[in-house]
Amino acid sequence: MSDGPVVLGIETSCDETGLGVVAGTELRANVLASQVDLHARFGGVVPEVAARAHVESVRHLAHRALAEAGVHQADLGGVAATQGPGLVGALVVGFTFAKSLAWALGKPFIGVNHMEGHLFAPLLGDPEFAPPAVVLLVSGGHSQVVHMRDWGDYEILGSTIDDAAGEALDKTARFLGLGYPGGPAIDRLASEGDPGAVDFPRALADRPYDFSFSGLKTSLMTFVRTNHEAGTLPPLADVAASLQEAIVDVLVAKTFNAVEATGVEIVGGGGGVMANSRLRRRLQEEANRRGVRLFVPPQELCTDNGAMIAVVGSHKLARGEITNLNADVDAGLKL
Amino acid sequence: MNILAIETATPASSVAIGTDDTLLAMSLQVNRRGHVGFLTPALDYCFTQAGWTPRELDAVVVDVGPGLFTGIRAGLATAQGVAAAAGVPLVGLSSLDALAFRAATGRRIIWPVVDVRRNEVATAPYKPVPGGVVRDGPPEVVSCEAFAGLLDSTADDTLVVGDHQSLPAGTLRGLHRVKVGRPRWPSADVLLELAFARMSKGELPAPDDVRPLYLREPDVTINWQDFREEAAWPPQP
Ligand SMILES: [Zn+2]
Repeated sequence: MSDGPVVLGIETSCDETGLGVVAGTELRANVLASQVDLHARFGGVVPEVAARAHVESVRHLAHRALAEAGVHQADLGGVAATQGPGLVGALVVGFTFAKSLAWALGKPFIGVNHMEGHLFAPLLGDPEFAPPAVVLLVSGGHSQVVHMRDWGDYEILGSTIDDAAGEALDKTARFLGLGYPGGPAIDRLASEGDPGAVDFPRALADRPYDFSFSGLKTSLMTFVRTNHEAGTLPPLADVAASLQEAIVDVLVAKTFNAVEATGVEIVGGGGGVMANSRLRRRLQEEANRRGVRLFVPPQELCTDNGAMIAVVGSHKLARGEITNLNADVDAGLKL
Repeated sequence: MNILAIETATPASSVAIGTDDTLLAMSLQVNRRGHVGFLTPALDYCFTQAGWTPRELDAVVVDVGPGLFTGIRAGLATAQGVAAAAGVPLVGLSSLDALAFRAATGRRIIWPVVDVRRNEVATAPYKPVPGGVVRDGPPEVVSCEAFAGLLDSTADDTLVVGDHQSLPAGTLRGLHRVKVGRPRWPSADVLLELAFARMSKGELPAPDDVRPLYLREPDVTINWQDFREEAAWPPQP
């Protein structure tokens, strides 16, 4: 697949304006305007703020991505953009920019499901990644275990019944005063702590593939308040490490429940939480133990980016799957 | 000079292309949520009608607002995409300018209104002059009541154009110097005319200076109570 069509991919579903260029599965460029600083003071993503930032940077970043890739726009095979799921106002910017750019260049346009982008992202780290596979998708917006039977043929085996994994990290980090976004902050602090110090609950043990993370925040708050008053609070790093371990334990267990049930020999991962170093290490250990291969994208391609949209676009284009120019975005698009 | 115009600041989306002051093709649709699906097929239709390719373009002009935020961004991003592909300049124009320019007749002061939701409208006063209009005050967002107050306090005969039907019933009642008129929506053919006028004077902005005219800060709703409580422990350094 590495000599597939050259595609520009545009991702604007949430708070990152991501533009990427690939040739098949070969990464040529990946540029990003992160809005993290913009949203940090609100403690979360503000949709209108996100949409405003996208329209200010998408044109620039398209130029930069093409320049870094050494690709002239006339040599593109097609232009791809995220169609959904995501924030409507944010999606519209990348989607309409991509459609008109493709049209004016006389190239095909490919609308891409954001989640499929995450499913394909491991290809950017290693082109040998291929279905059948089980893929763990974890971010601030989603937590899913997906059975990837073939390219384009997916079954969601399990998902969160309340908060997403990244949402749990954000909320608990906020409670611990670690700021936003919470994932990287907890990852850093936890690296100096003892993951066995506190026994936080591992929810939903009776359901093989589903997650529940909303109870964690409550247990954390109760634990901290009780022990703070009693003067028995362990170091914050231990609390963070234990909390992270509770989340990672569940993610690893459910993923490998699915591996066992489906009999696949390939495991993939994607989404912002997959950048968590502890989760990566634990998944790798478990994969080694079971003799299956783990494919996770490089950390910068775990979070939302344009390259993963470009990879799906290139793949679909090679199969002749292009999108009609009258297509609209779909905030609730399903895999 | 060959120009493409894109208009999506209100429920009426339109795309037009023209050359040297002559409209060659236009496509129009009224649908508050339909901008995204409409735009690119409309471009394709207009260019096919005119027998053009994007390579023949000299500029792209787009309505940057005020108006519907998502509509404006859909139009601007579309304009950016075509301008980038064709390697031509981008020109941003105001929906209020477009409305007032099309309404320009007689001696009345023109107040175009664009519905920006939440019982507010965007507006500005325009004076008719030979060949067009000149804006006589800054564009602003005001409540419908305040708009009626503005009209009431002026000594001039006025003409309200634009989406005055979005004003609550009775807003303009009793304002004897006020008449209402057309057009209801700004449209791409008017943008073409305005763009020819502007470009013949050699006024071309840098592409990055073409950005939406929101006239309103983003809506940020935070549950500060919740936020403070959660952040209460541990004490911040
Ligand atoms: Zn994502």
